[in-house]
Amino acid sequence: MKVFVTVGSTKFDALIQAILSDSTLRVLKKRGYHRLVIQCGNSAHEFVNFVDGDRVHKVEQDGVSIEVWRYKPSLKEAFEEADLVISHAGSGTILEVLRLGKPLIVIPNPTLLDNHQEEVATALSELGHLKSCTPSQLPTTIEGFDTTSMVPFPPFDGNRFQRLLDEQMGFV
Amino acid sequence: MSLQFIAALVSSVVCLTIFRVWSILPAGKHQKRHPKPKRASCTLAIFLGSGGHTSEALSLLQALDFERYSKRIYIASQGDSLSISKAVELENLKTTPGKCGGYSVITIPRARHVHQPLLTTPPTALVSLFSAFYHLTCSPFLNGGFNSRPFADALILNGPGTCFVLCAIIYLNKFIGLPAPELIYIESFARVRSLSLSGKLLRPLVDRFIVQWPQILDDQGRGECSGWLV
Repeated sequence: MKVFVTVGSTKFDALIQAILSDSTLRVLKKRGYHRLVIQCGNSAHEFVNFVDGDRVHKVEQDGVSIEVWRYKPSLKEAFEEADLVISHAGSGTILEVLRLGKPLIVIPNPTLLDNHQEEVATALSELGHLKSCTPSQLPTTIEGFDTTSMVPFPPFDGNRFQRLLDEQMGFV
Repeated sequence: MSLQFIAALVSSVVCLTIFRVWSILPAGKHQKRHPKPKRASCTLAIFLGSGGHTSEALSLLQALDFERYSKRIYIASQGDSLSISKAVELENLKTTPGKCGGYSVITIPRARHVHQPLLTTPPTALVSLFSAFYHLTCSPFLNGGFNSRPFADALILNGPGTCFVLCAIIYLNKFIGLPAPELIYIESFARVRSLSLSGKLLRPLVDRFIVQWPQILDDQGRGECSGWLV
């Protein structure tokens, strides 16, 4: 099975550090995730520092094959191929991943000011749509994650806004 | 004598201004709904605030009937070509040539750049204000005077900064009696318990104030929630 990790458009050193830690890699292997793909953005880590431009870096460690790259124009394909997504808690990414029906663990980025990642992550985890944790809780969260127990996320309902606007503009 | 006259003049101007502003503000806590004569179609303006703001704004448009909202005006910040290309992508996806009216793009200089020091913000904001004044006030007025239609029938705002500038210019239109679009603000999906700065600023000013999480309305303030819109 395959795990896809994304830090979004900036960087998130703590997330890269957590995913590449020995304890996380051990847990991944134990749970049957033998392939790990990481979109690392501008994050710094001894392991990703020399990954450049469009280059993809591949390595095998603790029985997990790891693939690292910095950016791609669209992550859709990577999300679709994944059996588990681990991500920063940006709301755009959350919506995209949940609508694809993929199990999702989010780690709110504490270094971003006033971005309310924590708020939306907590609210959606209380509703049972995803798991939210800190970087240090990542191994235990993966270990205890029952992906079948997640509450399905409702599909996009464009009629809601259409109704509001039609009402305001006198169409209904 | 002349001092008294000036004092009287100043105080009447202040009073009249306050009365005028009060009269154009949306009524109290209730959302204003206009029972309008039915018409075939109208023009929709959408501010694209870059990044997540743009994605959410374009999601809102996804399900709209573009034969009804037969002209779309996208307002983007200068240099934000990514937002514009996303809007063009949506247009190409949703419209069949000749059937759904057309669309146009207006660019406005940013009121404040990311990480710009507060000290230099006033002049940047002023440039942005003048540009919005040109597009939203002068240009429609020159085309049709006081009886002209507003630059759009509705203006959709979802943050950040520059959308307050647009709202200020619409209020200038209202103040001097020019036609103005319906103002609709949609708070981001990311805001669960508290409003963004633009949300706080625009809450008393817009005709419809919409949030996506009901918890935000626990403060009994203005607004409505119909669940997730994006």
